[in-house]
Amino acid sequence: MTSPLLDIALQIAMTLVMAPLMSSIIRNWKAKLQNRRGSPPWQVYLDIAKFLRKDMVISEHASWVFASAPYVVFLTSLVAALMVPMIGVEAPLGMFGGALAFIGLLALGRFFLALGGLDPGSAFGGMGSSREMTLSSVAEPALMLSIFTLAIAAGSTSLSVMVHHAASQDWPLLNSVNLLAFAALFIVLLAETGRVPIDNPATHLELTMIHEAMIIEYSGRYLALLELGASIKQFALMSLVINLFFPHGLAVGEGSSVPLAVGALLVKLLFLAGVIVLVETVNAKLRLFRVPNLLAGAFVLAALALLSTFIFQ
Amino acid sequence: MPSLQPILDDLSKRFEEQIDEIRAAAPNEIYLHTRMEIIPALCAYFYRKWNGRLAGVFADDAREDDGVFYVYYQFALDRSGGFFIGRIPIADGKPELISLTNAVPAVNWQEREIQDLFGIELIGHPNPRRCALHDDWPQVHPLRKDFDLKTQMAPFIGERHQFRRVEGEGVFQVPVGPVHAGIIEPGHFLFSVAGEPILNLQIRLFYTHKGTEKLFENLPVEHGVTLAESISGDSSFAHATAFCHAVERAAGVEVPQRGRVLRSVCLELERIYNHIADIGAIATDVAFVVANAHAMRLKERVLRVNELLTGNRLLRGMSCLGGIRRDWSAPQILALERMLDELAPEFDSLVALIYGSSSTRERLQTTGFLSPQTALDLGIVGIGGRASGFDHDLRRDYPHDAYDQVKVAVPVYTVGDVFHRMQVRIDEVRESMRLICELVSKLSEGPIRVPIGTIPAGQVALGYVEGWRGEIYHWIRTLPGNRLGRCKIKDPSLQNWPAMSEAVMGNIIPDFPVINKSFNLSYSGTDR
Repeated sequence: MTSPLLDIALQIAMTLVMAPLMSSIIRNWKAKLQNRRGSPPWQVYLDIAKFLRKDMVISEHASWVFASAPYVVFLTSLVAALMVPMIGVEAPLGMFGGALAFIGLLALGRFFLALGGLDPGSAFGGMGSSREMTLSSVAEPALMLSIFTLAIAAGSTSLSVMVHHAASQDWPLLNSVNLLAFAALFIVLLAETGRVPIDNPATHLELTMIHEAMIIEYSGRYLALLELGASIKQFALMSLVINLFFPHGLAVGEGSSVPLAVGALLVKLLFLAGVIVLVETVNAKLRLFRVPNLLAGAFVLAALALLSTFIFQ
Repeated sequence: MPSLQPILDDLSKRFEEQIDEIRAAAPNEIYLHTRMEIIPALCAYFYRKWNGRLAGVFADDAREDDGVFYVYYQFALDRSGGFFIGRIPIADGKPELISLTNAVPAVNWQEREIQDLFGIELIGHPNPRRCALHDDWPQVHPLRKDFDLKTQMAPFIGERHQFRRVEGEGVFQVPVGPVHAGIIEPGHFLFSVAGEPILNLQIRLFYTHKGTEKLFENLPVEHGVTLAESISGDSSFAHATAFCHAVERAAGVEVPQRGRVLRSVCLELERIYNHIADIGAIATDVAFVVANAHAMRLKERVLRVNELLTGNRLLRGMSCLGGIRRDWSAPQILALERMLDELAPEFDSLVALIYGSSSTRERLQTTGFLSPQTALDLGIVGIGGRASGFDHDLRRDYPHDAYDQVKVAVPVYTVGDVFHRMQVRIDEVRESMRLICELVSKLSEGPIRVPIGTIPAGQVALGYVEGWRGEIYHWIRTLPGNRLGRCKIKDPSLQNWPAMSEAVMGNIIPDFPVINKSFNLSYSGTDR
């Protein structure tokens, strides 16, 4: 690792390329499991290119909030992604903040996304925003609690230190604290990325949507930014989960190969994507009012993880 | 089938002078010519004494011949297997009709449709607003004979439909439609919700009203078959067959045995492919997409056999007056039997897949509950009716085509939730596969159709078919030269739509799509 600027540029490039790809691959694999051919993995780039070319249709009731939300969502997820150690243990923007900043940035993006859903005054957008806020009030504490549990073990809320701590163990998952925290984080990951037991990214039924309902009024460039922002957020969360629990192959120390580390990250991401695909395929969507129960379960798992930290020290 | 004679005897004893004439157009189709004042008593009599129900109300403009409108009340006596059709004259001038809706909510929409299309004013209707014609239409009555079919209407004048206001703290309105996100037909739903739970649902339909009943008038009956096929695309064969039944009854023609069997087989094929598609669609709506992928695969196999047998995947062009258009060769029938042999285990595994998914069952059970009492009050028929305790099926109660030669098992449940509407479909698919095998074994060599000949003018006849969605009625009055003076079409969707408003009560908004899908009502069939 040479200059910090190069690190930042590398991670931005990797995020922008791999984040949409990950969403697309999940979609493609889901199609395969349904015996369909599915759209090719690069379809998502074509979609984004198309959105960028298209004109935007904007409600006459929309204010500046509607126009700013896509940029806020895109930038917060991108910056959050730069705070996650992906290739080495040091995150490019690690010096600006740790776990708290990461969670806070995601929350800021979500806040603006919900405002953007409410702003044009359409019934569906408002419905999506209210659902998103209801669910995130349960999902966010679970996310924070499980990350803090790991922070206690590592002795710091810096994500780099936490990943470094994980990398110092052979198999972090063999530890009850980590196992419980992983289970909690995985459920939160499904919720945060709008995956099946909680939300259905593939539906056309407005009345059942959460994330898609919030962006239903968006088109053109704004939609491209929002789609990209959502996939970056998913990419960042997936990378974080992977590197906290499966730090194998990270470029640690002198003489480690960056291409090898990128390859390792990709393999691990694909594996996690496969698990998500399986979960999405074998489950039906939960009834909306049962979702908080699931997320409360994640919270309890995180709390147990925290408890285990002190019991099994 | 029990004889209708005891009912007729009792009827003449009970009503004596009040019924002017009793006339049997067919053994199970009795016309009672009477007067408007008698209808409420007649209605109560059939409901209480003979477990009957008012299956349809429709009007006919007979002012040219008799100087009056006629309104027909079609009572279905399911236990006795007979239709009793009360006919009352409505004087021209300021035509008025006493509404039965307060006593029989099932006829709410049908009475309003008469008011809109014939200009017969309803007396005592609880909600006499526009139904079939939208509020922006001028005061015209398209089904009157003096309304020219080619009349050009000015686009959008007057008021839009005013939905009823639902107010309260934290109550807001979610309008959905008329144009929807999926590739489906238009319908406007206005939800009033407090948070997620639904307080009230108002449904506005008839966006695709095409004046189909008017189109039938003065149309040569052969062309009517093609028109009937397009009333509701997924029930092409059932609608066309119901129309053929009506014409055959008016002409006094008996369809030969082979034609009757083939018709029944086609009806069952239509039922199978639609039910399988619905089961898959219900799974899709709770995001259990794998089950849908399997369902689509199975549906495709049925459609391909449909094409092999009839030349059309959706069985179009197969119905014709007096029988059926194409005969099937032995290899074709063999292909049908082979498909069914392969379909049965695959269908079982699809059902096992859905049963085995606890998350899917959790979504379907207790969702969209329609109580047997509500279903009875609203006269809900077909799948929705059978899932809510209404034990009926035209194939069993009034056997048409070859159904008198087989025993049709009718699944009935009283739970009335989405899961049981799916269960009715599952049971019916299995029964249909069994029926086809039994029917095919009854195939004998012989003609498949007979010429319809000249239909006497002034005949009235009721054609009926148990389509996959529920009972379909076509009622016709003939004119000289094999033309029709009136064709009244009743698709089960028209009867069942109001059930949606009841079934969604207390459910949350995200469950609406799956409740809607569990009924899967036709917009086109309702709007006509």
